[in-house]
Amino acid sequence: MGLTLYHFVALGAVLFCIGLYGAISKKNAVAVLMGIEIMLNAVNITLVGFSFFNTVKPYSTFLTGQIFAIFIITVAAAEAAVALAMIISIYRKRSTVDVGEIDMMRW
Amino acid sequence: MALYYGSWLILFSPLFSFAVIVFGTRVWDLLSRPVKATAAQREEAHEESDIHYIKKEGPRGEEEVLEDDEDPKVPYLTMGAKASGYVAIVIVGLACIYSWILLLNTAGVISIAPPLPASGVTIFSYNWFVQPGGLVSYVITFRIDTLAIAMMTVVTTVSLLVYFYSQGYMENSAGYARFFAYLSLFTFSMLDIVFAANFLVIFIGWELVGLSSYLLIGFWINKAAKPAEDRPSPASAAIEAFIANRVGDVGFIIGIMILFANTGTFDFATLAGSGPHSVTHAFAGNLGLLTLAMILVFCGAIGKSAQVPLHVWLPSAMEGPTPVSALIHAATMVAAGVYMVARTYPLFLAAGPQALGVVAWVGAITAIFAATIALTQYDLKRILAFSTISQLGYMFVGLGVAGAEYGPGPGMFHLFTHAFFKALLFLGAGSVLHAMHHALHRETQDMRYMGGLAKFMPVTAITFLVATLAISGFPFFSGFFSKDTIIGLTFDRGDYALYIITLLTAGLTAFYMLRAYILTFGGKGGEFGGLWGGPYRGAAGVPGVPWGRLENDQGVAHEGTPHESPLTMTIPLVLLAIASIVAGYWFGFFSYVYPPAPVLNFGAILTDWKTWVGVLVSFIGLGWAYYLYCVVGWVAVGNVVYNNPLLNFLHRVTLHKYYVSEFYALLIRYGVLGLSHVEAAFDTYVVDGIVNGVAALVRGAGRDLRHVETGRVQAYMIGFFGGVAVLAILVFVLVTFVQ
Repeated sequence: MGLTLYHFVALGAVLFCIGLYGAISKKNAVAVLMGIEIMLNAVNITLVGFSFFNTVKPYSTFLTGQIFAIFIITVAAAEAAVALAMIISIYRKRSTVDVGEIDMMRW
Repeated sequence: MALYYGSWLILFSPLFSFAVIVFGTRVWDLLSRPVKATAAQREEAHEESDIHYIKKEGPRGEEEVLEDDEDPKVPYLTMGAKASGYVAIVIVGLACIYSWILLLNTAGVISIAPPLPASGVTIFSYNWFVQPGGLVSYVITFRIDTLAIAMMTVVTTVSLLVYFYSQGYMENSAGYARFFAYLSLFTFSMLDIVFAANFLVIFIGWELVGLSSYLLIGFWINKAAKPAEDRPSPASAAIEAFIANRVGDVGFIIGIMILFANTGTFDFATLAGSGPHSVTHAFAGNLGLLTLAMILVFCGAIGKSAQVPLHVWLPSAMEGPTPVSALIHAATMVAAGVYMVARTYPLFLAAGPQALGVVAWVGAITAIFAATIALTQYDLKRILAFSTISQLGYMFVGLGVAGAEYGPGPGMFHLFTHAFFKALLFLGAGSVLHAMHHALHRETQDMRYMGGLAKFMPVTAITFLVATLAISGFPFFSGFFSKDTIIGLTFDRGDYALYIITLLTAGLTAFYMLRAYILTFGGKGGEFGGLWGGPYRGAAGVPGVPWGRLENDQGVAHEGTPHESPLTMTIPLVLLAIASIVAGYWFGFFSYVYPPAPVLNFGAILTDWKTWVGVLVSFIGLGWAYYLYCVVGWVAVGNVVYNNPLLNFLHRVTLHKYYVSEFYALLIRYGVLGLSHVEAAFDTYVVDGIVNGVAALVRGAGRDLRHVETGRVQAYMIGFFGGVAVLAILVFVLVTFVQ
């Protein structure tokens, strides 16, 4: 019994749920950001898995999924930089990184 | 035949003069007027032309213009204004000559064209639009036949004389050009009815007549109401006329629609024929519906010809300028109803005796109703108004009882003769009012301020007397032939009730007309036993009696003697007086407008006992009026009536026109306005309730639902992923279990 697509998908799903739980339940904005990073990487694993097992015929042949994963890692790096900058900025202004208190956009 | 085909010129000539005046001469008039006349110029003009800027000292010593609520006056007419009058007169004069040529030719007096076919000549036909499918087409058609020619002769002749007369009557009126434009439009509207060959065209003319009468009745737009004389303002009188006509028109248009829906055509000849679109074919076995349709069509005539119960607008319409009253009463408005019934007479015949019975009875009730009101009025023009209503009732009696033997002949003959003597009466009354206006410098129509005018204005008096005798049925005047024919016809038809009513009305007519004449032109103490001259009462009214003056009479600042009117006004009077005598001698009139009808026989009229019964009754009326107002005197008669409770009550009731207008006012106040309150409540609580309820619902939902927007990112995330989860479960369930 070797490594199959189901392992990839199951790992992706488990990681995604862990990330989602973190993103929803953590009060600290940095922890939320970390949860989001986990979700992104869960998706990356799923993409690579689908690509490797040649599931989606025309795209898998050209390694589209794997290239997509690299692309997401790049974008995630940029996103993390922006998000951290925003968190720092909010921290400077309101002296807190508790996402429960950051509700300037409410009704 | 070219003579007949060219008759569209008659129809469109007044429209042409309307356009010329509105776009040409009236603009010229307005542009060439002095910018604003100074007080000095007005004073100068007053001395020159006797115009009515009467100055008097106001309560605080300032200068007041006495007649500030009247028609704006100009010191002199510009060339443009005069040209407007000339254009209208010349054009309608040419149309009048053309009509007379047509009349004389078709009556066989001259022969410059072949005889007119019995079915008439279609002079113009235009397919306005065709309903998809081509089943029904709406065609504008003008057709002339003998009936139309007789009518167009009356219309153009009376119009010509009224236009000519208006030159004198409307002198110095600032609206002179506009007045002639409206008159031209009025004549065109009536000619449109005369030339109409189908209901579509006649309805267009019908509404145009309503419009132009509205414009003309309300011509003196600045004049205020006179509650003391029970006179409305011209503006409200115009609205009253318009609305009363609309009430009748509702019936008219429903009747037309019933006919059209069942036959598919508007055309009179097609409807009256025997083809698949004729009423006899379409309503076979369903004559009740045709009778209903024709009675509804007659409702239009009730409104237009001021029959009971829609007569209230005609006395109010007296607020218009007197030439307009003459035109309305003689030729162009109230005659439209009679003409329409005459035009659709074959349809009434096809509908059977009930429809014509309604026509006759409405006419008879109107005749006696209006005649009793006219007995007691003080207002000269209002007496004439009620006499018109009464005479129109005669015409409808004539139409109603004639049947297939006489057709529309008797009714149209009375219309023909009545047009001349009623135009004469109104123009004579206008001449009197003109003179009174110059004498008292106040606009009055009240006979209590007149009396003995014959010695001041003999031409007006003698012509007015001719018209009085003509309308009274005095032997060998025109009314004698036309009215006694109708009265005799009711007897021949066995309608003894109608006979009694019309005979009684004839006596009343003679009484109130001679009363009006004596109170205006004669009086106890005048020459010829009081018929000529007598005391002129002037601003004093009838002295020494409580009813002798208007209530709250403020008196006048000026007391002068009346003078005879200018030639522009007396020439039409003389011409109409001649016409009032000779118009009755056209014995072939019945067979002219309706070939199957017999020719009137002069000898038979003279030897018929019914003629002399009619003459006797009208002599009783004339004699009684002479006795009361020339021998006994108005003061004595008035005192008897005033002191007798019963007579006083009757006098008051008829003086107030049986309170019909008051009844309508109550009906409107409590009926229409009450209903409108109900509707206002419906609007407030139901219609507005729905609108406001929807708005409140949306506002409340927004107020409560906005709390969902917490501003916390994690809450949104729960919503988003929760939604995805729900969708995923849904898809899973569907894929697994539904397949």
